[in-house]
Amino acid sequence: MKRRTFMRCIGCGAVATAVAQTELLPEFLGGMQNACAFDYSENLASVEARYYKKLDGGGVECQICPRHCMVTDLERGYCGTRENRDGTYYTLVYGKACALNIDPIEKKPLYHFHPGTTALSVATAGCNCNCKFCQNWDISQSRPEQTKNFDLSPDDMVEICRTRSVPNIAYTYSEPVIFYEYMYDTAKRAHEAGIKSVMITGGYIDDKPLAELLPHLDAVKVDLKGIREAYYRDVVGAKLQPVLDRLVQIRRAGVWLELVYLVVPTLNDSDAEFTDLARWIKANLGTDVPVHFSKFHPQYLLKNLPATPLATLERAYDVSRAEGLEYVYVGNVPGHRTESTFCPGCGEVVIERKGYRVRGINIDGNACRSCSRTIPGIF
Amino acid sequence: MYTNNMSTVIVVKHNGRQPDRGLSVDVYYRLLEAGILALAGGEDIGRAWNRFLPAGTVGIKVNCLAKKFNSTPVALAEALVRHLTDHGRDANDIIVWERTGRELAAAGYTLNASANGLRCLGTDANGVGYGQELHSSGEVNSLVSRVLTDMVDGNINLPVLKDHSLAGMSGGMKNMYGAIHNPNKYHDGNCSPFCAQVNALEPIRTRYRLTITDAVRIQYNGGPGYVAQYMAYFGGVILSDDPVAADAIALRILKRLRADNGLPTLEEVGRPVRYLQAAEDLGLGKADPDEIVTKVLLVGEGGVAHAGGLF
Repeated sequence: MKRRTFMRCIGCGAVATAVAQTELLPEFLGGMQNACAFDYSENLASVEARYYKKLDGGGVECQICPRHCMVTDLERGYCGTRENRDGTYYTLVYGKACALNIDPIEKKPLYHFHPGTTALSVATAGCNCNCKFCQNWDISQSRPEQTKNFDLSPDDMVEICRTRSVPNIAYTYSEPVIFYEYMYDTAKRAHEAGIKSVMITGGYIDDKPLAELLPHLDAVKVDLKGIREAYYRDVVGAKLQPVLDRLVQIRRAGVWLELVYLVVPTLNDSDAEFTDLARWIKANLGTDVPVHFSKFHPQYLLKNLPATPLATLERAYDVSRAEGLEYVYVGNVPGHRTESTFCPGCGEVVIERKGYRVRGINIDGNACRSCSRTIPGIF
Repeated sequence: MYTNNMSTVIVVKHNGRQPDRGLSVDVYYRLLEAGILALAGGEDIGRAWNRFLPAGTVGIKVNCLAKKFNSTPVALAEALVRHLTDHGRDANDIIVWERTGRELAAAGYTLNASANGLRCLGTDANGVGYGQELHSSGEVNSLVSRVLTDMVDGNINLPVLKDHSLAGMSGGMKNMYGAIHNPNKYHDGNCSPFCAQVNALEPIRTRYRLTITDAVRIQYNGGPGYVAQYMAYFGGVILSDDPVAADAIALRILKRLRADNGLPTLEEVGRPVRYLQAAEDLGLGKADPDEIVTKVLLVGEGGVAHAGGLF
């Protein structure tokens, strides 16, 4: 899509906050399809990837994530978005967005990061995991030629944020690790323009690319999908330990971090798992990292399971609080009492939420207005 | 689909001077004629084809990953189409297909995604795409090309035999990775048991009719891309109605070429072709050469002759 046309459309459009799907791109344009041409991109990107090693015989070893795919000529890595062409590794999704919305930051969810603001939320096709519960599998488990993409450069995103007064960009919906180069350049460009960047990720990334990315990010939300290697192997199609290592790395780098744990009935919902999770967080990240226990809805490959009962989510909440975690939330349950943030010192509500809406903030700087206790986060 | 206790594979070799380029359409035509007659066990070519193919529309799944030098030759696809049209099938009822039109074009195919005439299209063509139903088999969960699910009544697998850097070998079964939307998810463990499970997906398994593998010029190492130094002339095609048996015999040829050229075995280089046994375990066909009747024919100017063996 031509940039000028796109910007004209954006300028006329309404904010859409629906779940990201390819089909919603025109919706983002505010129903303006009839007013201006909307051309999907016909080509894949051909931008040389970062973090790979050339091998003898024309192969490459991808070094963006712990998979370290060995990719021979004309083949792609597990993510389906990086291709070896004559010994050079290319990302096919740079600047090829397949989902774009303006969401409340609470939807990411990030509860301790500029509450009440919005984020321009972008995704490309592809993912380096294959979670059986994926809610966006139609884009995450697709190759870029199977999604409807449009051209959206880092500069375009910054300009959208400026014209729409959106203070944040969120790399989200699928897995931003697989569009690393696009995310990196956009985040860097956004910082120069005073716009913040948040990464919504499974955290399955190698240490070096993460280290180089973190200075350009303002917050990271990691889906810690379980606390057992077997769960990662059987349900996620990945390994747990690299994710735990990256969590520590993010925390040590001082970038704001929140965690989501999707509670899947019968698969990762035991008291022992909740306890181990809380203890690991307490020991390695600290008690002030917000943890969101999210409700699972049956879809993709787990349609046989029921939605997570509220009682299970509240059990996860209770266990975590009992273990000492200070900021625990029940997610995907609009109206639940734990949607709001309570001061651990005085028990008063410091950020009042209803669904994705923030109804009140009782913090001065980072201090609770009631007892002056420091509330961690970026406010 | 095979039904007998023993499966049959026909290897038809060109008995003539090795051509500078690939075989011509006419030569392929004669190889296919001898092959399908031997496989069907009759003398009427039309009946032979019809023994395997359904009424209605037939798909021909080619493999065009590796552009012109290492894809299903256009001449072979053309010879097969000619056979089908010469023996009663309307060109409107034939679809040559692959994952993308871009790959087809790069391999030399002329695209036709219209409603008329012989169609040649990628799953990415307008109005095609992948079906919305997620099909599952073992660990494989995939959307399947609508060419298979909605557009054809039966499918001929028309791959090219070559070495594969992960699977060990790419033949007919591996070619069906081009029918699903997420092949990149299924390359771990030498593609096993995934390759077997892909072929067990309901639309792939039930539409399957024949494998006809191009084994004229074989990339015996360095595949699936084209690496000139590891290309050898074998001069044949492999036919079977058993997808596993066709690959099992193809593997024998590939292994022999590697040995003849002083290369370590696929097992030694960590690329054993394990998905054939997995496929047999799923009931897709015979992986054990001892349970496969292999007939080798030589086709030349003097007609058709039986050869003593594969090599």
